[in-house]
Amino acid sequence: METYLKRNNKKWIPLAFLLIHSVAILIFTRGFLLTRTELPFHSTCSDASLSPCLSNSDHNHNQKQPKCWTKPVVDRVVIIVLDALRIDFLAPSAFFPEAKPWMDKLTVLQNLAFGNESSAKIFKAFADPPTTSLQRLKGLTTGGLPTFVDVGNSFGAPAIVEDNFINQLVLNGKRLVMMGDDTWTQLFPNQFHKSYPFPSFNVKDLDTVDNGCIEHLFPTLYKDDWDVLIAHFLGVDHAGHIFGVDSMPMINKLEQYNKVLEKVVDILESQAGPGGLHENTMVIVMGDHGQTLNGDHGGGTAEEVETTMFAMSTKRHTPSVPPEFDTSSCKQDPDGKKICISSIEQLDFAATLSALLGISFPFGSIGHVNPELYALSSSSLNLDNIELGNSGTQPAVNEWMKNYVNVLCVNAWQVKRYIDVYSNSSVVGFSSDDMSRISNLYSAAEHHWSNSIKHTLMDNDGNEDSTNTSALKAQIAAYLSFFSSVAELARSKWTEFNLTLMITGFVMLVISLILQSLAIFHGDKPFAVDSGLSTSAAFSLFIVLIRACSFLSNSYILEEGKVANFLLATTGLIKLRYSLMSKTMRKEAFIFLAMVSVLRVSIDIGLTKQAATSQFMSSSPTWMLGLAPDHPALTYASEIAPIVSVAVLICVLYRGIAKTHSEGIWKYVTVGSMLNYFLIALLWASESKIFVLDGFLQVIGGRNIIPQTVYAIGLLQLFLLASAHMFCAGKDKNWVIRAVALVSACSSPVILLSGKQGSMLALAYLLAGYCIMRLEGVERSTKSDGQNKFSKLDPLCVVQWSLLSVCMFFASGHWCAFDGLRYGAAFVGFDEFVLIRQAILLTIETFGFSIILSVFGLPLLIPIISQTPQAHGEKRHMLFQMYMLYGVISATTVTATILCVTIHRRHLMVWGLFAPKFVFDVVGLILTDVLICLASVYYL
Amino acid sequence: MKEAKKKKKKSETSIGVSRNGSISTVGVLSVYLINGLFLAVGFWVARNRFLVDLVSDPSLTLFLLWSIEFPVVVIIYSFLRKDPEKCSCSKAVGRSILGLISGAFMNALGAIALGAPIGAQYLPKTIHWSLLMSVFTFVPATVVFGASLTDWHRVFASMKPSGNIEHMILVPAYGAIIGGWFGAWPMPLDWERPWQEWPICVCYGAIGGYIVGQIVSLCLMLFLRKHKSLKVA
Repeated sequence: METYLKRNNKKWIPLAFLLIHSVAILIFTRGFLLTRTELPFHSTCSDASLSPCLSNSDHNHNQKQPKCWTKPVVDRVVIIVLDALRIDFLAPSAFFPEAKPWMDKLTVLQNLAFGNESSAKIFKAFADPPTTSLQRLKGLTTGGLPTFVDVGNSFGAPAIVEDNFINQLVLNGKRLVMMGDDTWTQLFPNQFHKSYPFPSFNVKDLDTVDNGCIEHLFPTLYKDDWDVLIAHFLGVDHAGHIFGVDSMPMINKLEQYNKVLEKVVDILESQAGPGGLHENTMVIVMGDHGQTLNGDHGGGTAEEVETTMFAMSTKRHTPSVPPEFDTSSCKQDPDGKKICISSIEQLDFAATLSALLGISFPFGSIGHVNPELYALSSSSLNLDNIELGNSGTQPAVNEWMKNYVNVLCVNAWQVKRYIDVYSNSSVVGFSSDDMSRISNLYSAAEHHWSNSIKHTLMDNDGNEDSTNTSALKAQIAAYLSFFSSVAELARSKWTEFNLTLMITGFVMLVISLILQSLAIFHGDKPFAVDSGLSTSAAFSLFIVLIRACSFLSNSYILEEGKVANFLLATTGLIKLRYSLMSKTMRKEAFIFLAMVSVLRVSIDIGLTKQAATSQFMSSSPTWMLGLAPDHPALTYASEIAPIVSVAVLICVLYRGIAKTHSEGIWKYVTVGSMLNYFLIALLWASESKIFVLDGFLQVIGGRNIIPQTVYAIGLLQLFLLASAHMFCAGKDKNWVIRAVALVSACSSPVILLSGKQGSMLALAYLLAGYCIMRLEGVERSTKSDGQNKFSKLDPLCVVQWSLLSVCMFFASGHWCAFDGLRYGAAFVGFDEFVLIRQAILLTIETFGFSIILSVFGLPLLIPIISQTPQAHGEKRHMLFQMYMLYGVISATTVTATILCVTIHRRHLMVWGLFAPKFVFDVVGLILTDVLICLASVYYL
Repeated sequence: MKEAKKKKKKSETSIGVSRNGSISTVGVLSVYLINGLFLAVGFWVARNRFLVDLVSDPSLTLFLLWSIEFPVVVIIYSFLRKDPEKCSCSKAVGRSILGLISGAFMNALGAIALGAPIGAQYLPKTIHWSLLMSVFTFVPATVVFGASLTDWHRVFASMKPSGNIEHMILVPAYGAIIGGWFGAWPMPLDWERPWQEWPICVCYGAIGGYIVGQIVSLCLMLFLRKHKSLKVA
């Protein structure tokens, strides 16, 4: 009875840890991985009739062009993006405590902004983290706050599927020209009328993108075949990354830009006369984010989020904004002149530009039309028919406010619509408190609108009085408070980490780690400290801790495969020393080291693949074959070797079942895997050119038949194993045969999905695992204390097994990034896309070797010797301990990763490197826990 | 023996060594000092005669280091060799060369298993590095023990050295290996320093570990002697 209880107990413990880990990770993720659902809706011109605002017809029938949501106020827009433009690159040095060498270099813009007769302005622009170019461009164009995980993102491709400013321009028949950073063409593959993209990934190249931009910019400015021009310069960003802000290349870059911008302004002004190409053009020079003095960006520090924007309209007039809505801060410049810069949020960029160009606002935009930027052009709007030169006076201000309040009305309606739709359709929407607060603000503003302002505006009789003015101001203030509370809510939801949740999750994981370590000794007799064992345990602890600490540095995460391999080889050398000492198993120790060397070559190949796409790694191939990649001998070898290794695997399995005197279901399952291996070999042989099996695939009916058969046989095997476990439980206590059956059943789909390298890796894995098993306890046998060998667990061999599985993950060509997933594997055997099925296949491919096979194969590490029945109970206990230890090792690394992302949550690479690593680790840990549960049900 | 007399200039060595192959602590210290001196000479030659250092030309520097250190080590340790009567000096030199090459091979294999880069441009660096490591680890042992497997096994595998000579072979050798192992740690970091390249920092680590090993072995000898004398008393 007691043993029965104990046995059940052991099955529940892994489940308990699965639950604890899931809860802890869920809590942490809620605090760290901010998610947002992308909505597939788009705004159209006709939507505006649903709004309570003034409709098109009654206000504007005398215009030739039908207006969309708002009246267009500029005809063309030139957007020049200078990547990583700090605020102090553009704003005069008078605004900063001390003048630095890199300040006051863009003098042409400063002169324009602070000149007497110009409609130009410098803004301090606030970006929202993450301050990386791609996320910022997404934010600027959609008017939203992109997060790390925008749910609904298309598989792999970064193209923006949400409604955005560029998309709206295309829908409204505007023609776009783009030049510079090729991120734009990745985000908007089809939207540009003309594009001149240049590669942006080479950080050390300061000039290619900029020169390409300059080359195309000036000719394009003279053409009339576009409405919106986007030129994205990268030099400042790259100079910052390589040399830092306080460096000569940076200053040279800024001086170069000054010349370019001077020429741009000259061209525009030369064409700005009545009837000219640029009669009513707006020029915007802006940064997408700032940078620190070292040139880093990505996080949320003031230096990174404070960027700048310069806006100028070619139509000259003095902007008139009521002082209540003026955000400018002013200083005295050295000459004693008063100079002012205003401020703007990048969030408002999409809405403001949409209003200026008179197109419908992007559906998901939560920004509002910035009064000062809007006023730069729009104050001229209705003044043409009033007296020119009278702007800035009370009637002009009133007229502008009337126009602006109507724009805000549409804007508020659009934001409210988005918030409502979002909270209805998203899985994790806003809380009802927040929603009701926002609804109240909105309904108050709207009530005010429909009751009073609308009529005032409708009258349009031109007699302004002070009550009117104050009513308009109150209305604008009501809208602005609505907008600011929406933005605040959105920020808290989408850009701010919840540190409390993160720490709670972390602490829970640490507690579970302690509990799990205690569980290793669960039911153990007061364990005698054996000197051989304790050195081995201390060494295991040392290795695990080194690996955990290595996650605190981004460099070690990038080269995680190499680190794991280094540690694995170290354990191999230690084992070699022990085996030399005891003069046993020397062959195994050497074979193990040889297998580690094979794996490291494979890891190196994987790293070069990773370096090709990673933005953080320089690709330096550390090894080279003397042969050309298409050498016939090499192709021949690469075709033959996988098939030979499958044949070897079949032989190994055959010998495995021939040796053990076992009958029944386990044997049939193993035979099934042999059949599967054979099918895989057949598939590869028929796909390659050197065997004359071309017609074979047609005969059997397509290349999908064999993979599907393999999956079917695999499922059948698992089903048989499960039913055998249920119905003949307790009959066959021999795990070796059961483990062989289970592992071989799982391995065939894994090998198939991994492609041709799969079989070779499986062979290397098998050999290395065999050596680990043989070397288990080699340091103990030297002591030869005559005790029962099963009484104690050798932690080092479990550590080795776990390191080996990590190495397998990297050796099979994976790395912890989303572009490291092999999407092609999801379509082995299937042509059409079904989310669940393909996701399962992708998971099997990604974690097949590193988690599925290694967890199920863990019992194989127990030496086969001594199958006596009295040893069985102890062996079962040992197996339980091994599973717990394996779980502790996995959980330790994940805890270290979590600690690392908590520390580095504002690091430059948090979204590029740490967050993907976190996602992979967490998924891996949950999968490990689930599989440990299944395995302990199956084996214990 | 003839050769030994010819190289009489290291008089202090002959003072320290008694006929039965044991050596006093002072003798050990002087051996270590000579080792360190010639290591420094190697660096000096590289820097002033050839105008290179480990960072600018690792292969040449390593070559200079091991080719200067190797004869010194062979000469010093051949005074300490076991059963000098049976084994002539030329034989000792011959087996030391054999030990140098096989030791280099073992070191290179270990380094590659641990992740040393493989490829044509790294080949000379790896070869010279492993030769230097071999001078630190294998050569003294081959000179002293020869092909006596039992001695090798006792000292290196079981780590049960007896006497000062075995201590001074074992501890610095392990020091060099462990130092090299730690020296590999900064390699993946993104500091973009030239010394992070293979095998520069591993060399520094190994040399540092070797020196620490020498100091530790000296301390061990002093401690053991005191212990013994205490026991005797």
